[in-house]
Amino acid sequence: MVEQLIHTGERIDLVISDQEALDTVFVQEANSTLRIHLFRITKDGQPFNLNDTLHIRHDGTGCRTEIYALFLLRGTDKAALHTRVCHDKGQGTSAQIVKFILADEAQGEFFGEMTIAQDAQKVEAQQSNRNLLLSDTAVMRTRPQLEIYADDVKASHGASTGQLDESSLFYMQQRCLSREEGRRLLLRAFMADVVDTVEDEKKRQELMDAIDGII
Amino acid sequence: MHPQNKIEPRHTASFAMNTLLEIKNLHATIGGKEILKGVDLTIRAGEVHAIMGPNGAGKSTLSAVLTGNPAYIVTEGEVWLKGKNLLEMPAEQRAREGVFLSFQYPVEIPGVSMVNFMRVAVNEKRAYEGKPALSATEFLRLMREKKALVEMADKLNNRSVNEGFSGGEKKKNEIFQMAMLEPCLSILDETDSGLDIDALRIVSNGVNKLKTKENASIVITHYQRLLDYIVPDYVHVLADGRIVKTGSKELALELEEKGYEWLNN
Ligand SMILES: Nc1ncnc2c1ncn2[C@@H]1O[C@H](COP(=O)(O)OP(=O)(O)OP(=O)(O)O)[C@@H](O)[C@H]1O
Ligand SMILES: [Mg+2]
Repeated sequence: MVEQLIHTGERIDLVISDQEALDTVFVQEANSTLRIHLFRITKDGQPFNLNDTLHIRHDGTGCRTEIYALFLLRGTDKAALHTRVCHDKGQGTSAQIVKFILADEAQGEFFGEMTIAQDAQKVEAQQSNRNLLLSDTAVMRTRPQLEIYADDVKASHGASTGQLDESSLFYMQQRCLSREEGRRLLLRAFMADVVDTVEDEKKRQELMDAIDGII
Repeated sequence: MHPQNKIEPRHTASFAMNTLLEIKNLHATIGGKEILKGVDLTIRAGEVHAIMGPNGAGKSTLSAVLTGNPAYIVTEGEVWLKGKNLLEMPAEQRAREGVFLSFQYPVEIPGVSMVNFMRVAVNEKRAYEGKPALSATEFLRLMREKKALVEMADKLNNRSVNEGFSGGEKKKNEIFQMAMLEPCLSILDETDSGLDIDALRIVSNGVNKLKTKENASIVITHYQRLLDYIVPDYVHVLADGRIVKTGSKELALELEEKGYEWLNN
Protein backbone atom coordinates (compact mmCIF):
# COMPACT_ATOMS: atom_id res chain seq x y z
CA MET A 1 0.00 0.00 0.00
CA VAL A 2 1.31 3.41 -1.00
CA GLU A 3 1.30 6.09 1.66
CA GLN A 4 0.83 9.69 0.72
CA LEU A 5 1.16 12.54 3.17
CA ILE A 6 -0.88 15.70 2.94
CA HIS A 7 0.84 18.45 4.83
CA THR A 8 -0.66 20.89 7.29
CA GLY A 9 -3.04 23.28 5.56
CA GLU A 10 -2.46 21.73 2.15
CA ARG A 11 -5.26 21.09 -0.31
CA ILE A 12 -5.12 18.22 -2.76
CA ASP A 13 -7.64 17.63 -5.49
CA LEU A 14 -7.33 14.37 -7.42
CA VAL A 15 -9.32 13.09 -10.34
CA ILE A 16 -8.54 9.46 -11.01
CA SER A 17 -9.85 7.77 -14.11
CA ASP A 18 -7.00 5.62 -15.38
CA GLN A 19 -7.21 1.85 -15.26
CA GLU A 20 -4.70 1.29 -12.44
CA ALA A 21 -6.14 -0.12 -9.24
CA LEU A 22 -5.79 2.25 -6.33
CA ASP A 23 -4.07 1.02 -3.20
CA THR A 24 -3.25 4.09 -1.22
CA VAL A 25 -3.45 5.47 2.26
CA PHE A 26 -3.63 9.24 2.53
CA VAL A 27 -2.42 10.59 5.82
CA GLN A 28 -3.77 14.06 6.46
CA GLU A 29 -2.05 16.54 8.75
CA ALA A 30 -3.98 19.26 10.56
CA ASN A 31 -6.33 21.47 8.54
CA SER A 32 -5.55 19.78 5.26
CA THR A 33 -8.11 19.08 2.56
CA LEU A 34 -8.32 16.08 0.31
CA ARG A 35 -10.77 15.78 -2.53
CA ILE A 36 -10.80 12.63 -4.61
CA HIS A 37 -12.89 11.86 -7.64
CA LEU A 38 -12.68 8.27 -8.73
CA PHE A 39 -14.18 7.20 -12.06
CA ARG A 40 -14.36 3.62 -13.21
CA ILE A 41 -15.94 3.64 -16.60
CA THR A 42 -16.32 0.52 -18.68
CA LYS A 43 -14.25 0.25 -21.85
CA ASP A 44 -15.06 -1.58 -25.03
CA GLY A 45 -13.18 -4.81 -25.51
CA GLN A 46 -11.43 -5.34 -22.20
CA PRO A 47 -13.61 -6.40 -19.27
CA PHE A 48 -12.92 -4.67 -16.03
CA ASN A 49 -11.66 -6.39 -12.95
CA LEU A 50 -10.50 -3.83 -10.44
CA ASN A 51 -10.24 -3.62 -6.69
CA ASP A 52 -9.65 -0.14 -5.37
CA THR A 53 -8.54 0.41 -1.82
CA LEU A 54 -8.60 3.91 -0.48
CA HIS A 55 -7.69 4.65 3.12
CA ILE A 56 -7.73 8.03 4.75
CA ARG A 57 -6.32 8.87 8.15
CA HIS A 58 -6.81 12.18 9.89
CA ASP A 59 -3.58 12.61 11.80
CA GLY A 60 -4.30 16.19 12.81
CA THR A 61 -7.41 18.14 13.77
CA GLY A 62 -9.66 20.06 11.37
CA CYS A 63 -9.09 17.91 8.27
CA ARG A 64 -11.56 17.72 5.40
CA THR A 65 -12.03 14.74 3.13
CA GLU A 66 -14.36 14.44 0.19
CA ILE A 67 -14.62 11.22 -1.78
CA TYR A 68 -16.68 10.98 -4.93
CA ALA A 69 -16.76 7.71 -6.81
CA LEU A 70 -18.65 6.65 -9.91
CA PHE A 71 -18.62 3.15 -11.34
CA LEU A 72 -20.23 2.60 -14.71
CA LEU A 73 -19.97 -1.08 -15.52
CA ARG A 74 -21.46 -3.52 -17.99
CA GLY A 75 -20.83 -6.88 -19.64
CA THR A 76 -18.83 -9.03 -17.22
CA ASP A 77 -17.10 -6.07 -15.56
CA LYS A 78 -16.29 -6.40 -11.89
CA ALA A 79 -15.19 -3.67 -9.55
CA ALA A 80 -14.88 -3.23 -5.84
CA LEU A 81 -14.15 -0.20 -3.74
CA HIS A 82 -13.00 -0.36 -0.17
CA THR A 83 -12.82 2.93 1.66
CA ARG A 84 -11.64 3.32 5.20
CA VAL A 85 -11.83 6.74 6.76
CA CYS A 86 -10.23 6.99 10.18
CA HIS A 87 -11.02 10.09 12.12
CA ASP A 88 -8.21 9.81 14.65
CA LYS A 89 -8.36 13.51 15.53
CA GLY A 90 -11.24 15.87 16.21
CA GLN A 91 -12.99 18.68 14.30
CA GLY A 92 -12.62 16.85 11.01
CA THR A 93 -15.19 16.24 8.32
CA SER A 94 -15.55 13.53 5.73
CA ALA A 95 -18.13 13.07 3.02
CA GLN A 96 -18.34 10.13 0.67
CA ILE A 97 -20.64 9.78 -2.31
CA VAL A 98 -20.26 6.42 -3.99
CA LYS A 99 -22.40 5.39 -6.94
CA PHE A 100 -22.49 2.28 -9.07
CA ILE A 101 -24.44 1.88 -12.29
CA LEU A 102 -24.46 -1.75 -13.33
CA ALA A 103 -25.73 -3.19 -16.58
CA ASP A 104 -25.72 -6.70 -18.04
CA GLU A 105 -23.89 -9.07 -15.70
CA ALA A 106 -21.67 -6.48 -14.08
CA GLN A 107 -20.83 -6.87 -10.41
CA GLY A 108 -20.06 -4.13 -7.97
CA GLU A 109 -19.00 -4.10 -4.38
CA PHE A 110 -18.64 -1.31 -1.89
CA PHE A 111 -17.16 -1.77 1.54
CA GLY A 112 -17.18 1.49 3.45
CA GLU A 113 -15.52 1.65 6.84
CA MET A 114 -15.58 4.72 9.03
CA THR A 115 -14.06 4.97 12.46
CA ILE A 116 -14.13 7.86 14.85
CA ALA A 117 -11.62 7.55 17.68
CA GLN A 118 -12.56 8.16 21.28
CA ASP A 119 -11.07 11.64 21.57
CA ALA A 120 -11.95 12.74 18.05
CA GLN A 121 -14.78 15.04 19.10
CA LYS A 122 -16.84 17.33 16.82
CA VAL A 123 -16.32 15.13 13.81
CA GLU A 124 -18.85 15.10 10.99
CA ALA A 125 -18.73 12.01 8.82
CA GLN A 126 -21.13 11.11 6.04
CA GLN A 127 -21.26 8.22 3.67
CA SER A 128 -23.78 7.63 0.93
CA ASN A 129 -23.85 4.71 -1.46
CA ARG A 130 -26.53 4.69 -4.15
CA ASN A 131 -26.63 2.16 -6.95
CA LEU A 132 -28.66 1.54 -10.05
CA LEU A 133 -29.13 -1.88 -11.55
CA LEU A 134 -30.03 -1.73 -15.22
CA SER A 135 -30.56 -5.46 -15.60
CA ASP A 136 -31.86 -8.38 -13.57
CA THR A 137 -28.48 -10.08 -13.76
CA ALA A 138 -26.32 -7.26 -12.40
CA VAL A 139 -25.23 -7.68 -8.80
CA MET A 140 -24.35 -5.12 -6.15
CA ARG A 141 -23.00 -5.80 -2.68
CA THR A 142 -22.81 -3.05 -0.12
CA ARG A 143 -21.33 -3.18 3.35
CA PRO A 144 -21.14 -0.05 5.43
CA GLN A 145 -19.34 -0.31 8.74
CA LEU A 146 -19.23 2.44 11.32
CA GLU A 147 -17.25 2.35 14.51
CA ILE A 148 -17.80 5.38 16.65
CA TYR A 149 -16.05 5.78 19.99
CA ALA A 150 -16.44 9.55 20.52
CA ASP A 151 -19.73 10.96 21.77
CA ASP A 152 -19.92 14.49 20.37
CA VAL A 153 -19.98 13.62 16.66
CA LYS A 154 -22.35 13.49 13.72
CA ALA A 155 -22.11 10.41 11.59
CA SER A 156 -24.49 9.17 8.98
CA HIS A 157 -24.58 6.62 6.25
CA GLY A 158 -27.15 5.54 3.73
CA ALA A 159 -27.20 2.87 1.10
CA SER A 160 -29.77 2.04 -1.55
CA THR A 161 -29.84 -0.07 -4.66
CA GLY A 162 -32.68 0.24 -7.15
CA GLN A 163 -33.71 0.46 -10.76
CA LEU A 164 -34.57 3.35 -13.02
CA ASP A 165 -37.95 4.70 -12.05
CA GLU A 166 -40.59 3.37 -14.46
CA SER A 167 -43.06 6.15 -13.75
CA SER A 168 -40.42 8.78 -14.64
CA LEU A 169 -39.61 6.93 -17.85
CA PHE A 170 -43.27 6.80 -18.82
CA TYR A 171 -43.76 10.48 -17.99
CA MET A 172 -40.89 11.33 -20.33
CA GLN A 173 -42.25 9.09 -23.08
CA GLN A 174 -45.56 10.87 -22.70
CA ARG A 175 -43.60 14.04 -23.50
CA CYS A 176 -42.25 12.62 -26.78
CA LEU A 177 -38.92 11.28 -25.48
CA SER A 178 -37.95 7.74 -26.42
CA ARG A 179 -37.18 5.37 -23.56
CA GLU A 180 -33.49 5.56 -24.47
CA GLU A 181 -33.47 9.36 -24.24
CA GLY A 182 -35.38 9.24 -20.97
CA ARG A 183 -32.95 6.68 -19.64
CA ARG A 184 -30.02 8.88 -20.62
CA LEU A 185 -31.47 11.92 -18.86
CA LEU A 186 -32.18 9.90 -15.71
CA LEU A 187 -28.68 8.42 -15.69
CA ARG A 188 -27.08 11.83 -16.14
CA ALA A 189 -29.18 13.16 -13.28
CA PHE A 190 -28.13 10.23 -11.13
CA MET A 191 -24.44 10.84 -11.78
CA ALA A 192 -24.57 14.61 -11.52
CA ASP A 193 -23.33 15.07 -7.94
CA VAL A 194 -20.21 13.04 -8.72
CA VAL A 195 -19.50 14.50 -12.15
CA ASP A 196 -20.46 18.13 -11.52
CA THR A 197 -18.19 18.43 -8.49
CA VAL A 198 -15.06 17.92 -10.64
CA GLU A 199 -13.58 21.40 -10.54
CA ASP A 200 -11.24 21.10 -13.53
CA GLU A 201 -13.51 22.04 -16.39
CA LYS A 202 -11.50 20.29 -19.07
CA LYS A 203 -11.40 17.04 -17.16
CA ARG A 204 -15.09 17.27 -16.37
CA GLN A 205 -15.89 17.68 -20.05
CA GLU A 206 -13.68 14.72 -20.98
CA LEU A 207 -15.41 12.56 -18.41
CA MET A 208 -18.85 13.66 -19.53
CA ASP A 209 -17.96 12.82 -23.12
CA ALA A 210 -16.67 9.39 -22.09
CA ILE A 211 -19.86 8.77 -20.11
CA ASP A 212 -22.12 10.00 -22.89
CA GLY A 213 -20.36 7.63 -25.26
CA ILE A 214 -21.54 4.76 -23.12
CA ILE A 215 -25.01 5.56 -21.85
CA MET B 1 -42.30 -5.25 -30.32
CA HIS B 2 -43.73 -1.94 -31.41
CA PRO B 3 -42.97 -0.84 -34.92
CA GLN B 4 -41.03 2.43 -34.81
CA ASN B 5 -42.07 3.55 -38.25
CA LYS B 6 -45.05 5.75 -38.88
CA ILE B 7 -48.25 3.84 -39.26
CA GLU B 8 -50.16 4.55 -42.44
CA PRO B 9 -53.77 5.66 -42.17
CA ARG B 10 -56.38 2.98 -42.53
CA HIS B 11 -58.44 3.41 -45.66
CA THR B 12 -62.08 2.92 -44.89
CA ALA B 13 -64.92 4.87 -46.32
CA SER B 14 -66.83 4.75 -43.05
CA PHE B 15 -64.15 6.75 -41.26
CA ALA B 16 -65.58 10.22 -41.01
CA MET B 17 -63.11 12.96 -41.90
CA ASN B 18 -63.36 14.81 -38.63
CA THR B 19 -63.24 11.78 -36.35
CA LEU B 20 -60.18 12.20 -34.21
CA LEU B 21 -60.37 9.27 -31.83
CA GLU B 22 -62.33 6.09 -31.99
CA ILE B 23 -62.32 3.68 -29.04
CA LYS B 24 -64.06 0.36 -29.64
CA ASN B 25 -64.83 -2.23 -26.98
CA LEU B 26 -61.64 -1.49 -25.07
CA HIS B 27 -60.72 -3.95 -22.34
CA ALA B 28 -57.59 -3.59 -20.21
CA THR B 29 -56.04 -5.21 -17.17
CA ILE B 30 -53.43 -4.37 -14.60
CA GLY B 31 -51.92 -6.89 -12.25
CA GLY B 32 -54.21 -9.51 -13.74
CA LYS B 33 -57.30 -7.52 -12.77
CA GLU B 34 -59.69 -6.31 -15.47
CA ILE B 35 -60.28 -2.57 -15.06
CA LEU B 36 -61.65 -1.49 -18.43
CA LYS B 37 -64.51 -3.74 -19.43
CA GLY B 38 -65.54 -2.57 -22.87
CA VAL B 39 -65.20 1.19 -23.39
CA ASP B 40 -66.68 2.72 -26.55
CA LEU B 41 -66.10 6.38 -27.33
CA THR B 42 -65.87 8.48 -30.47
CA ILE B 43 -64.38 11.96 -30.38
CA ARG B 44 -64.50 14.40 -33.28
CA ALA B 45 -62.19 17.31 -33.89
CA GLY B 46 -63.27 20.45 -32.03
CA GLU B 47 -65.06 18.60 -29.25
CA VAL B 48 -64.63 18.58 -25.49
CA HIS B 49 -65.68 15.39 -23.70
CA ALA B 50 -65.96 15.30 -19.94
CA ILE B 51 -65.58 11.98 -18.15
CA MET B 52 -66.90 11.71 -14.63
CA GLY B 53 -67.39 8.69 -12.44
CA PRO B 54 -66.75 7.21 -9.03
CA ASN B 55 -63.29 6.69 -7.57
CA GLY B 56 -61.68 3.57 -8.91
CA ALA B 57 -64.00 3.40 -11.94
CA GLY B 58 -61.08 3.28 -14.38
CA LYS B 59 -60.80 6.90 -15.57
CA SER B 60 -57.06 7.16 -15.02
CA THR B 61 -56.68 3.64 -16.38
CA LEU B 62 -58.32 4.80 -19.61
CA SER B 63 -55.83 7.71 -19.83
CA ALA B 64 -52.94 5.36 -19.15
CA VAL B 65 -54.08 2.88 -21.78
CA LEU B 66 -54.63 5.58 -24.40
CA THR B 67 -51.17 7.00 -23.81
CA GLY B 68 -49.44 3.61 -23.86
CA ASN B 69 -48.40 3.11 -20.26
CA PRO B 70 -46.63 -0.27 -20.43
CA ALA B 71 -47.95 -1.28 -17.00
CA TYR B 72 -51.39 -1.92 -18.51
CA ILE B 73 -52.34 -4.75 -20.85
CA VAL B 74 -55.00 -4.29 -23.50
CA THR B 75 -56.86 -7.58 -23.79
CA GLU B 76 -59.51 -6.63 -26.32
CA GLY B 77 -60.66 -3.77 -28.49
CA GLU B 78 -59.27 -1.12 -30.81
CA VAL B 79 -58.25 2.53 -30.65
CA TRP B 80 -57.83 4.63 -33.78
CA LEU B 81 -56.33 8.12 -33.83
CA LYS B 82 -57.01 9.91 -37.11
CA GLY B 83 -57.29 6.49 -38.67
CA LYS B 84 -54.01 5.21 -37.26
CA ASN B 85 -53.85 2.22 -34.97
CA LEU B 86 -52.89 3.81 -31.67
CA LEU B 87 -52.44 0.58 -29.75
CA GLU B 88 -49.58 -0.49 -32.03
CA MET B 89 -47.52 2.57 -31.19
CA PRO B 90 -45.06 2.89 -28.29
CA ALA B 91 -45.91 5.63 -25.81
CA GLU B 92 -43.53 8.22 -27.26
CA GLN B 93 -44.94 7.79 -30.74
CA ARG B 94 -48.47 8.38 -29.47
CA ALA B 95 -47.20 11.57 -27.84
CA ARG B 96 -45.53 12.64 -31.08
CA GLU B 97 -48.77 11.94 -32.93
CA GLY B 98 -50.31 14.51 -30.60
CA VAL B 99 -51.80 12.61 -27.68
CA PHE B 100 -51.12 14.49 -24.47
CA LEU B 101 -51.91 13.49 -20.91
CA SER B 102 -52.04 15.97 -18.09
CA PHE B 103 -51.28 13.50 -15.32
CA GLN B 104 -53.48 13.20 -12.24
CA TYR B 105 -50.22 12.83 -10.32
CA PRO B 106 -47.36 14.47 -12.28
CA VAL B 107 -44.03 12.77 -11.67
CA GLU B 108 -41.09 14.53 -10.02
CA ILE B 109 -37.81 13.99 -11.86
CA PRO B 110 -34.92 15.32 -9.75
CA GLY B 111 -31.84 16.37 -11.67
CA VAL B 112 -33.60 16.88 -15.02
CA SER B 113 -34.20 20.56 -15.62
CA MET B 114 -37.53 21.74 -16.96
CA VAL B 115 -35.85 23.76 -19.74
CA ASN B 116 -33.72 20.89 -20.93
CA PHE B 117 -36.63 18.47 -20.75
CA MET B 118 -38.90 20.71 -22.79
CA ARG B 119 -36.21 21.40 -25.37
CA VAL B 120 -35.79 17.69 -26.02
CA ALA B 121 -39.56 17.12 -25.98
CA VAL B 122 -40.40 19.89 -28.44
CA ASN B 123 -37.58 19.00 -30.81
CA GLU B 124 -38.47 15.31 -30.77
CA LYS B 125 -42.00 16.17 -31.78
CA ARG B 126 -40.74 18.51 -34.49
CA ALA B 127 -38.35 15.88 -35.83
CA TYR B 128 -41.23 13.41 -36.01
CA GLU B 129 -43.21 15.96 -38.02
CA GLY B 130 -40.23 16.50 -40.30
CA LYS B 131 -39.56 20.00 -38.98
CA PRO B 132 -36.10 21.32 -38.08
CA ALA B 133 -35.12 21.77 -34.43
CA LEU B 134 -35.81 25.18 -32.91
CA SER B 135 -32.85 27.49 -32.41
CA ALA B 136 -32.05 28.51 -28.83
CA THR B 137 -33.70 31.89 -29.36
CA GLU B 138 -36.83 30.47 -30.95
CA PHE B 139 -37.12 27.93 -28.17
CA LEU B 140 -36.82 30.53 -25.41
CA ARG B 141 -39.37 32.74 -27.13
CA LEU B 142 -41.79 29.81 -27.29
CA MET B 143 -41.20 29.05 -23.61
CA ARG B 144 -41.90 32.64 -22.66
CA GLU B 145 -45.05 32.81 -24.73
CA LYS B 146 -46.47 29.57 -23.34
CA LYS B 147 -45.51 30.34 -19.78
CA ALA B 148 -47.49 33.54 -20.01
CA LEU B 149 -50.52 31.54 -21.09
CA VAL B 150 -50.70 29.79 -17.73
CA GLU B 151 -49.11 32.66 -15.78
CA MET B 152 -46.35 30.35 -14.65
CA ALA B 153 -43.59 31.77 -12.47
CA ASP B 154 -40.18 32.10 -14.13
CA LYS B 155 -38.37 30.36 -11.31
CA LEU B 156 -40.13 27.07 -12.04
CA ASN B 157 -38.28 26.64 -15.31
CA ASN B 158 -34.88 26.58 -13.70
CA ARG B 159 -35.93 23.80 -11.38
CA SER B 160 -35.99 20.08 -11.96
CA VAL B 161 -39.15 18.67 -13.52
CA ASN B 162 -41.93 19.03 -10.91
CA GLU B 163 -39.44 18.68 -8.07
CA GLY B 164 -40.71 20.44 -5.01
CA PHE B 165 -43.57 22.03 -6.99
CA SER B 166 -46.76 22.52 -5.02
CA GLY B 167 -49.79 20.52 -6.10
CA GLY B 168 -51.21 23.48 -8.00
CA GLU B 169 -47.86 24.35 -9.60
CA LYS B 170 -47.58 20.81 -10.91
CA LYS B 171 -50.97 21.06 -12.57
CA LYS B 172 -50.09 24.41 -14.12
CA ASN B 173 -46.87 22.90 -15.34
CA GLU B 174 -48.81 20.15 -17.08
CA ILE B 175 -50.88 22.70 -18.99
CA PHE B 176 -47.73 24.66 -19.80
CA GLN B 177 -46.25 21.52 -21.35
CA MET B 178 -49.48 20.93 -23.21
CA ALA B 179 -49.18 24.44 -24.64
CA MET B 180 -45.59 23.74 -25.68
CA LEU B 181 -46.48 20.52 -27.47
CA GLU B 182 -49.75 21.62 -29.11
CA PRO B 183 -51.43 18.22 -29.02
CA CYS B 184 -54.39 17.19 -31.16
CA LEU B 185 -55.89 15.20 -28.30
CA SER B 186 -55.38 16.27 -24.72
CA ILE B 187 -56.52 14.21 -21.80
CA LEU B 188 -56.76 16.24 -18.62
CA ASP B 189 -56.92 13.86 -15.66
CA GLU B 190 -58.26 15.82 -12.69
CA THR B 191 -56.29 18.88 -13.67
CA ASP B 192 -58.61 20.89 -11.41
CA SER B 193 -57.79 19.02 -8.22
CA GLY B 194 -55.39 20.97 -6.04
CA LEU B 195 -55.92 24.25 -7.89
CA ASP B 196 -56.97 27.32 -5.96
CA ILE B 197 -59.80 29.47 -7.34
CA ASP B 198 -57.53 31.81 -9.30
CA ALA B 199 -55.38 28.99 -10.62
CA LEU B 200 -58.49 27.11 -11.74
CA ARG B 201 -59.55 30.13 -13.79
CA ILE B 202 -56.06 30.66 -15.22
CA VAL B 203 -55.58 27.01 -16.14
CA SER B 204 -59.06 26.77 -17.68
CA ASN B 205 -58.44 29.93 -19.69
CA GLY B 206 -55.19 28.41 -20.88
CA VAL B 207 -56.96 25.26 -21.99
CA ASN B 208 -59.67 27.26 -23.73
CA LYS B 209 -57.11 29.37 -25.58
CA LEU B 210 -55.46 26.21 -26.86
CA LYS B 211 -58.74 24.93 -28.25
CA THR B 212 -59.02 24.86 -32.03
CA LYS B 213 -61.32 23.30 -34.61
CA GLU B 214 -58.68 20.62 -35.22
CA ASN B 215 -58.04 19.42 -31.70
CA ALA B 216 -60.12 17.87 -28.95
CA SER B 217 -59.95 17.22 -25.23
CA ILE B 218 -61.04 14.65 -22.73
CA VAL B 219 -61.56 16.30 -19.36
CA ILE B 220 -61.69 13.95 -16.39
CA THR B 221 -63.10 15.57 -13.29
CA HIS B 222 -65.13 15.01 -10.17
CA TYR B 223 -66.47 18.54 -10.04
CA GLN B 224 -69.05 20.28 -12.10
CA ARG B 225 -67.31 23.59 -11.33
CA LEU B 226 -64.51 22.95 -13.83
CA LEU B 227 -67.10 22.43 -16.55
CA ASP B 228 -68.36 25.98 -16.00
CA TYR B 229 -64.98 27.08 -17.31
CA ILE B 230 -64.22 24.35 -19.82
CA VAL B 231 -67.63 23.72 -21.34
CA PRO B 232 -68.02 20.16 -22.57
CA ASP B 233 -69.98 19.04 -25.61
CA TYR B 234 -70.59 15.69 -23.95
CA VAL B 235 -70.49 14.35 -20.43
CA HIS B 236 -69.86 10.64 -19.94
CA VAL B 237 -70.12 8.60 -16.81
CA LEU B 238 -67.51 5.87 -16.48
CA ALA B 239 -68.43 3.31 -13.86
CA ASP B 240 -66.90 -0.08 -13.27
CA GLY B 241 -64.89 0.03 -16.47
CA ARG B 242 -67.65 1.04 -18.85
CA ILE B 243 -69.31 4.21 -20.06
CA VAL B 244 -72.74 3.80 -18.51
CA LYS B 245 -74.29 7.11 -19.46
CA THR B 246 -73.66 9.94 -21.90
CA GLY B 247 -75.37 13.28 -21.88
CA SER B 248 -74.95 17.00 -22.43
CA LYS B 249 -73.34 19.36 -19.93
CA GLU B 250 -76.54 19.32 -17.87
CA LEU B 251 -75.73 15.74 -16.91
CA ALA B 252 -72.86 17.05 -14.82
CA LEU B 253 -75.26 19.20 -12.83
CA GLU B 254 -77.55 16.28 -12.30
CA LEU B 255 -74.65 14.13 -11.11
CA GLU B 256 -73.51 16.83 -8.73
CA GLU B 257 -76.96 16.82 -7.20
CA LYS B 258 -77.75 13.12 -7.14
CA GLY B 259 -74.38 11.34 -7.11
CA TYR B 260 -73.83 8.17 -9.08
CA GLU B 261 -76.11 5.75 -7.24
CA TRP B 262 -79.24 6.51 -9.26
CA LEU B 263 -77.50 5.37 -12.46
CA ASN B 264 -77.57 1.79 -11.21
CA ASN B 265 -81.32 1.60 -11.38
N1 LIG C 1 -51.36 -2.33 -10.04
C1 LIG C 1 -52.67 -2.53 -9.84
N2 LIG C 1 -53.13 -3.77 -9.53
C2 LIG C 1 -54.44 -3.99 -9.30
N3 LIG C 1 -55.37 -3.03 -9.37
C3 LIG C 1 -54.96 -1.78 -9.68
C4 LIG C 1 -53.61 -1.46 -9.93
N4 LIG C 1 -53.52 -0.15 -10.22
C5 LIG C 1 -54.78 0.33 -10.14
N5 LIG C 1 -55.65 -0.64 -9.83
C6 LIG C 1 -57.10 -0.51 -9.63
O1 LIG C 1 -57.70 -0.07 -10.81
C7 LIG C 1 -58.92 0.58 -10.49
C8 LIG C 1 -59.10 1.79 -11.37
O2 LIG C 1 -58.18 2.80 -10.97
P1 LIG C 1 -58.14 4.22 -11.69
O3 LIG C 1 -56.96 4.94 -11.15
O4 LIG C 1 -58.26 4.04 -13.14
O5 LIG C 1 -59.48 4.87 -11.12
P2 LIG C 1 -60.06 6.35 -11.35
O6 LIG C 1 -61.39 6.19 -11.98
O7 LIG C 1 -59.09 7.20 -12.01
O8 LIG C 1 -60.26 6.82 -9.83
P3 LIG C 1 -60.06 8.27 -9.12
O9 LIG C 1 -61.32 9.02 -9.36
O10 LIG C 1 -59.93 7.93 -7.69
O11 LIG C 1 -58.87 8.92 -9.69
C9 LIG C 1 -58.90 0.85 -9.00
O12 LIG C 1 -59.77 -0.03 -8.35
C10 LIG C 1 -57.46 0.58 -8.63
O13 LIG C 1 -57.36 0.09 -7.32
MG1 LIG D 1 -57.94 8.80 -11.47
